[in-house]
Amino acid sequence: MKAANFEHHEPTSVSKAVSLLESLDEPTILSGGQSLVPMLRFRLARPDTVVDINGIDELDYLHEEDGYLRIGALARHADVADSEVIEARYGSFADTAPLVADPQIRNRGTIVGSIAQADPKGDWGSVLIAHDGEVVARGPDGERTVPVDELFLLPYDTSLDEDELITEARVPVPVEREGSAYHKLKRKTGDYAMAGVAARLIFDDDGRIEDAGIGMTAVDITNARASDAEERLEGERPDPELFAEAGELAAEQSNPESDEHGDASYKERMVEVLAQRALGDAAERAGVIERRAAP
Amino acid sequence: MSSETDDVPVADTEYQHDEDGGPDPEKHHGHGRGGMGEEVKRKEDKRFITGRGNYVDDIKKPGMLHCEIVRSPHAHARIENIDTSRAMDVDGVVAVLTAEDLAAHELATMPTLMDDTQDVLVNDKVKFQSQEVAAVIATDRYIAKDGAEKVDVDYEVLDPVVTAEEALEADAPLIRDELEDQEDNHIFDWDVGDKEATDRVFEEADVTVEEQMEYQRLHPAPIETCGCVADWDPGKDKITVHLTSQAPHAHRTLFSQVSGIPEHKVRIVSPDIGGGFGNKVPIYPGYVVAAAASVVLEQPVKWMEERSENIQTTGFARDYDMTGELAATEDGIIKGVRTDVLANHGAYNAVAQPSKFPAGFFNIFTGSYDIEAAYGSLTAAFTNTAPGGVAYRCSFRVTEAVYLIERMVKVLAQELDMDPAEIRRRNFIQPEQFPYESPTGWNYDSGDYEKALDLALDMADYDHYREEQQRRIEEDADKLIGIGISSFTEVVGAGPGKSCDIAGIEMFDSADIRVNPTGNAVLRVGVQTQGQGHETTFAQIVAEELGMDVENISVEHGDTDTDPYGLGTYGSRSTPVAGAATAVAARKVRDKAKTIAANELEAAEEDIEWDRESGHFHVAGAPDRSITITEIAASAYMHHPSSEEPGLEAVNYYDPPEMTYPFGSYIVVVEIDRETGEVDFEKFVAVDDCGNRINPMVIEGQIHGGLAQGIGTAMMEHVTYDENGNCTGGDFMNYLLPTANEIPNFETGYTVTPSPHHPIGAKGVGESPTVGSPPAIVNAVVDAMAHAGTTHVEMR
Repeated sequence: MKAANFEHHEPTSVSKAVSLLESLDEPTILSGGQSLVPMLRFRLARPDTVVDINGIDELDYLHEEDGYLRIGALARHADVADSEVIEARYGSFADTAPLVADPQIRNRGTIVGSIAQADPKGDWGSVLIAHDGEVVARGPDGERTVPVDELFLLPYDTSLDEDELITEARVPVPVEREGSAYHKLKRKTGDYAMAGVAARLIFDDDGRIEDAGIGMTAVDITNARASDAEERLEGERPDPELFAEAGELAAEQSNPESDEHGDASYKERMVEVLAQRALGDAAERAGVIERRAAP
Repeated sequence: MSSETDDVPVADTEYQHDEDGGPDPEKHHGHGRGGMGEEVKRKEDKRFITGRGNYVDDIKKPGMLHCEIVRSPHAHARIENIDTSRAMDVDGVVAVLTAEDLAAHELATMPTLMDDTQDVLVNDKVKFQSQEVAAVIATDRYIAKDGAEKVDVDYEVLDPVVTAEEALEADAPLIRDELEDQEDNHIFDWDVGDKEATDRVFEEADVTVEEQMEYQRLHPAPIETCGCVADWDPGKDKITVHLTSQAPHAHRTLFSQVSGIPEHKVRIVSPDIGGGFGNKVPIYPGYVVAAAASVVLEQPVKWMEERSENIQTTGFARDYDMTGELAATEDGIIKGVRTDVLANHGAYNAVAQPSKFPAGFFNIFTGSYDIEAAYGSLTAAFTNTAPGGVAYRCSFRVTEAVYLIERMVKVLAQELDMDPAEIRRRNFIQPEQFPYESPTGWNYDSGDYEKALDLALDMADYDHYREEQQRRIEEDADKLIGIGISSFTEVVGAGPGKSCDIAGIEMFDSADIRVNPTGNAVLRVGVQTQGQGHETTFAQIVAEELGMDVENISVEHGDTDTDPYGLGTYGSRSTPVAGAATAVAARKVRDKAKTIAANELEAAEEDIEWDRESGHFHVAGAPDRSITITEIAASAYMHHPSSEEPGLEAVNYYDPPEMTYPFGSYIVVVEIDRETGEVDFEKFVAVDDCGNRINPMVIEGQIHGGLAQGIGTAMMEHVTYDENGNCTGGDFMNYLLPTANEIPNFETGYTVTPSPHHPIGAKGVGESPTVGSPPAIVNAVVDAMAHAGTTHVEMR
């Protein structure tokens, strides 16, 4: 790697980081570095200053507190993959973590960093959408929360200000009769998704879908919500035909582009398939449908 | 591990051309000294596993400068102006070189291995994206890169030509306008076989089939990219170049020819090489620039490619658009094969092949089958893409040929609704037909194709999967089963020198054995390992032939000042050629050792026998009167016979009489997700026959590595370009390599059919799996969907 010169800052607290972000000219935040470092290597990113947050211990956490699963800015993908809390109750997170890139990247890369990067091919944005999550940002004017639907603007572009630092991503702690899942189609380990779908379902006492969340990966300019499909599901009882219909609606709402690895129509069809599979797993994990037979 | 069944021999009984008859088949695991057939642990692994390897980029010299190359963002453009002033202003930039500077030293151009002429730095017109435009020499590699960004180049962008098909259109822009007489983008036409006889067979045939298939552009993508450290010594007028080279001696000759520095003043050192796969056979502009800079600046200069530079500019492989046709009887007897190929050679004709073979050994396309008539034709074109056409882990273009015939046999089987194993069986060249002359002029040494296929079918549980496949189709299951077979034949081990050369130098190879007074030995060879394990396997040959312990033999290679001249390692030629040289040289040493033994044992030389089992010499009829090689070595230096020169050493330069023809049968079972098309490997069986086996464990490792590369080829690898000639598959984000996660469990087996002309009966093996596996994988995928009428699916 032959990056251009830059100034490297290592704050040890969030407040120091925020004041650096305020005072420096066009700073770039370095957390896990799994997107930034390759961009530095290609000199696609040429920051004058880099604020490295890896020394801020207060950001290194992953736990449930006050009704939220809280993911600190330094929680790594591998932390999610290894977490017992996640394994027990957060199906979509448990599905996603081992599918992010490769083991080396998962050891360094962070969930929050991936969300802040706002790459439409990132997996976590979809999971956050499915769970109606939000991020906590700290800036010179204090702390604010940004719902995921207001976060992603364009590829690599969020609604945050340059001097704001995301300290946490969070989703509500699951209720009873809730299940979630993530399905991803990729060409190989380490590759980005060709398409991915995260689904979360909450059922009422009567076994009807009370709330549905569906987020889509790599099939639009940002991680995208399949709102038509969500609407179609709510109030209904789960069955394969309903999920197939929801899958079709999700596919209709997606806008994939053709590339070397697949054309747009194939990717749309994959959204349909992956949505059905994710919804089936979510319903099963919520305990409202029987475990499906093995293929 | 390997499967051993009763009917599979584990070693051959007949030791090649050796008076004592060779290793005892009952003791095929050797004599415990690490000779032939023993699973000796690789000597080189200690340094590699403990991080003590010494690669080109590990070479650091006092005062060493770094070279960064300025590359064109355009695929086709005329250079209007180059302004180096801003770059020269960067603190630490020592020099910026352009074509003009090189021209002053007569280094503006360099010959390719196919006698084309390539700009070292672009003189007038850029012909592919990322072509070398200027070079910045600086005190460290970061500064060199900073400087490269500040070289200002004005381009007049021209229309690019990306595919071979476009290139040959009448109104295509002319790429090579600097060549006199070149009026279009056509390079050459080539054909082989009897066209009339083949056409006749096709006209009279019961059945004919035809399929279009693309062997996409690949890159060998060795983990170590290409690079060098050039160090001109003005005191000795000598240049030493540490080089990522698969062929150090050939490169020394080429370096001398290009630079004008006399060959005895050029030393090429190829240290540890992190994979080559054909990528490190050609000479690249970066080497020439670094050497020129070192001579001019009188300081060592390092040039080391980045990954994307490696994929985007150095020798690619394949890029053949092929049409295949077979003519057959209703019973599936193949009567004729016909093929036509359109080859994309990139901006220069820089294929790495023996010069008399413009299409390499593609004419092996009759494969393992006894076919009456064959005809092949090929047209090669220039395009605005990187030059190449290297033999990526294969003998020259054999991979394309094997893919063609093995795919076509499957197409024919589908057409005739025959089992693809049965149709192969009906067409195999039979064991008694060897040596077999093919209709395209090859002389196959030995083979027993049906035996390998039968073993593979057995190991793969073939009948079970055929039943399971049918069941899944009938039950409309979510996942389909497909079974693919490839019964390939490779041709490896070039020479002979009369027909094969690199830049005019005959493709022989060499070995030099020196036994020391204390009884150990150094073997120097003219080939260069890049991971093949030569330091182990070649030592085993010497151990076998001299009765020494393998621990007491070290193998040196890669330094042209000390090693005998050789043509290098590629095309699975090391064991067939340098391995043969090693055996012959060892036998020369043994002959002299026998003379010394006679002297020491005070017996007539004709009464001295050598016992392969013990490794000792003894007097006939008196086994107690014996002497070891260690004792003989001491005698050779301390009290040598008066009839002999002192010392105990020998050299052999080996020109092989023929190539060797390893073969095998691979069977792949895939499971395909009906909804997503995802392919999972359910079973992967590889049966190889490489003749007599030197080190089964090394062979196993070679097979595993090659199969992984075959999976990459069939499933994901592809150097892609957009319509503007931008390389869109030029880094590991986009050029996908398989990882351990994508590699299934391999089940390997083997048969042994020795090469009759090789001194130890061995054939090359390292490339068989890369060559043989892609058609097996594609055949399996097609097979899964054959009931729906699919006859072909492209790789990648």
